[in-house]
Amino acid sequence: MSEKLKLEAYYGLPDEVKFCTKCVMSNQRPTSAIEFKHTKDSKKTTMNFDEHGVCDACRTSEIKDNINWGMREEELIKLLDKHRKNDGSYDCLVPGSGGKDSAYQSHVLKYKYNMNPLTVTWPPILYTEYGLKNWRNWLDSGFDNISFYRNGKVMKLLTKLSIENLLHPFQTFILGQKNLAPKIAAKHGINLIFYGENEAEYGNPIADNMSSLRDKSYHSFDNLEDIYLAGVTVKELIENHDVRLSDLMAFLPPKKEELEKANIEVHYLGYYLKWTPQEVYYYAVENTGFKARPHRTQGTFSKYSGIDDKIDDLHFYTTFIKFGIGRATYDAAQEIRNRHLTREEGVALVSRFDGEFPDRYFNDVMEYIDMKPDDFYALCDKFRSPHLWGKNVNGDWQLRHNVSHTGLND
Amino acid sequence: MKTVRIIPRLDIKGPNLVKGIHLEGLRVLGKPADFAKFYYDEGADELLFMDVVASLYERNSLHNIIRETAKSIFIPITVGGGLRTISDIKDVLRVGADKVCLNTAALKNPQLIKDASRMFGSSTIVVAIEAIKEPDGSYLAYTDNGREYTGVDVFEWSQKVVELGAGEIVITSVDREGTGQGYDIELVSKITNLVSVPVIAHGGAGKKEHIVDILKSSNASSAMISSLFHYHFIKDNESRASNLEGNVEFLNQKRSFHTFEPCQIKDVKNNLIENQIECRI
Amino acid sequence: MSKKVVIIDYQLGNLFSVKQACDIVGINAIISSDKNDILNADALILPGVGAFIEAMNNLIKLELDTFIKQKVKNGTPIFGICLGQQLLFTKSEEFGSGNGLDLIPGTIKRFPENFEDRLIKVPHIAWNTIYKSGQNWELTALKEICNNEFMYFIHSYFVKPDNDSVVLTLTNYDGIEFCSSIQHNNIFATQFHPEKSSDKGVSIYKNWAVINNII
Repeated sequence: MSEKLKLEAYYGLPDEVKFCTKCVMSNQRPTSAIEFKHTKDSKKTTMNFDEHGVCDACRTSEIKDNINWGMREEELIKLLDKHRKNDGSYDCLVPGSGGKDSAYQSHVLKYKYNMNPLTVTWPPILYTEYGLKNWRNWLDSGFDNISFYRNGKVMKLLTKLSIENLLHPFQTFILGQKNLAPKIAAKHGINLIFYGENEAEYGNPIADNMSSLRDKSYHSFDNLEDIYLAGVTVKELIENHDVRLSDLMAFLPPKKEELEKANIEVHYLGYYLKWTPQEVYYYAVENTGFKARPHRTQGTFSKYSGIDDKIDDLHFYTTFIKFGIGRATYDAAQEIRNRHLTREEGVALVSRFDGEFPDRYFNDVMEYIDMKPDDFYALCDKFRSPHLWGKNVNGDWQLRHNVSHTGLND
Repeated sequence: MKTVRIIPRLDIKGPNLVKGIHLEGLRVLGKPADFAKFYYDEGADELLFMDVVASLYERNSLHNIIRETAKSIFIPITVGGGLRTISDIKDVLRVGADKVCLNTAALKNPQLIKDASRMFGSSTIVVAIEAIKEPDGSYLAYTDNGREYTGVDVFEWSQKVVELGAGEIVITSVDREGTGQGYDIELVSKITNLVSVPVIAHGGAGKKEHIVDILKSSNASSAMISSLFHYHFIKDNESRASNLEGNVEFLNQKRSFHTFEPCQIKDVKNNLIENQIECRI
Repeated sequence: MSKKVVIIDYQLGNLFSVKQACDIVGINAIISSDKNDILNADALILPGVGAFIEAMNNLIKLELDTFIKQKVKNGTPIFGICLGQQLLFTKSEEFGSGNGLDLIPGTIKRFPENFEDRLIKVPHIAWNTIYKSGQNWELTALKEICNNEFMYFIHSYFVKPDNDSVVLTLTNYDGIEFCSSIQHNNIFATQFHPEKSSDKGVSIYKNWAVINNII
């Protein structure tokens, strides 16, 4: 009988590692954090598993099958009718960087539902070549666009700090992306913003699904000193890193007053229209000139999701380090829920690809943030939670538990 | 006479026939046996069954489908997907396949082509090459259904496989595949002029005129077609797709695919004859 | 008691489809490499895809060559397909080949890769037409076949009989005319694959059996 090691679990993650019995997700998966409160010491809330060992995301997916989509579409049409403008102005805002999701949304809203969308782009940190092509093709298929090119010096600084402090390369991208849309909407008098999938699809507490409006706490703040960027307070950034408040505004959410004055509503199209990622891919290919990348994304098996930013691959590598969950797990879990894969296949894919080191763009990223690869590896090791990682007989890091039960302690 | 062959390609995943774009995003379209029988009755010259996820999952599961098909369909059947050893090849030939199609295994272990062609005859061994056009204009070969980069030049590789004993080559343009924008004439004509074995063109047929184009502009011996025929089939036929597996959203929504002008085998063949290209009618 | 046909298994080729074609038309056939089965057979089918040398070696190793020759000389009907047809002949020009079964005088030749300044694709993998040579098809397995019917071919070599009278059908591949099937007494053989030539092809199995009183 093996003795139960009492190992520390970082980030407030659950001590025991469990895998969903329906998909391949583990219980270490954090639910969306409020990024500007995110520090080194933040405790994560993680996805809930019910008494049958099934995760919330799978349960939500089951509910999805029974939703009356006809009724939901009617709700959408009512909403759109309320906002549609016939005087030439924009009546809705669709944020996106050229990925299949925003391509689909904007196209469907414009050409199926006769809305007049303005698209807005917070560009990827490091655009990939085909990502850029897809972005252009998207706009060339018929959309006005406002792109905000963020202060490169500050972007670089914040990306580097978020990697160093949080091992979260994507934090700055997420911030900018979330915060830009409401600001542009407010400035242009647009009252309706559409995002794609409802985050509850991916394991946020089910309660958020009951209405598809985003929790306003993501979109407003009261006090500057409560704000953390890259795990550092704004105050510290100004004092120690040679930035001004004005340099940081692009990354910060709009003020509460700004939003309320503008009467903006944020909706998830995924609440109203049944969202099947593969069908979204097809739609984008057929209608907006979208092309999958020619080679498999490292760390997973797919070719058409999250392909516009070179840092994306590294981002998933860090989730693998911090939570033991790589990109293949995320992709497979979702495809299992959409019934494109059986669990057996999902497990095989995860075993084959999860945690694959993304060397294709690694050097580009290191150069960008001016970090030595060895320093990055050392940093990774600091973030490996003892309850997830151990060293095998060859002295290499290995997960203690994995979905195919071939982990160090399985 | 010198005739060309029209070969429907059936991509299979588990129990279902699927179709993707750029070999990606597999949509379920129905039951393989239904498509096979339909195409046979319609005058298909051969059939290719491809297990499109065999390499990824390291298994080829087409045996039952092949066996059932071979019982009532009397045209040549080629089988590919995840065939890695002589034993894999033998198994599939035993259940009724006439030719086998190798890709990933051949690139990883070229000796397999030599051994297999010696053992089963050159004409039994078809090598599939999945080509992606690189930014510098070169064409590189990919494996695992268009997923894995190998860095191998397609033209050098095509000559090598013939030297090793392959009796036929299927050249797929991954860029055109599933888009309905026409075959990659540059790619196909270059290969057909380089090798002495028959070459089958694949990837991009969106309307019957594309098939005339490729056969007139290159020395291809055959045109392989998937979307063009499949989308026509499902327009008129009830799908019996197994709902347990795969992306069935498309079928459930009963949408069409507007970059294609779906048609039947006889439309393609009549069009060929009108354009002075000989084929079996 | 129904007549028994043996499909000779010498480890080369897709025998499954040959058997399927027999089943569909009602021929009582078994697949076997056992010389006793061959000896007791009422008729023989000699299929095959692959190399001439390999095939002859296998037949000799299994001691089937002598029995096949014996049976055929004694009048047992035999149906050769593709490589099976080639094995009935005297010898092949394929490098290193020994002799064939020599039941029909003639040689096996390879398609040239260059002919009249044209590049010829080899193997010949195609549906191509068979047409009359001199013999009447009425009393043969081809009785339901029309002149210029399409059949499926897949081969790099073809037969050249010494005697034109055995030629049953001719075929033209990109300018090269060759013998695509033969009929001589109890010997019937095709270069093309009738079991892969759709319904018309399958009818050849039926009519061969009928003509030879097997069904």
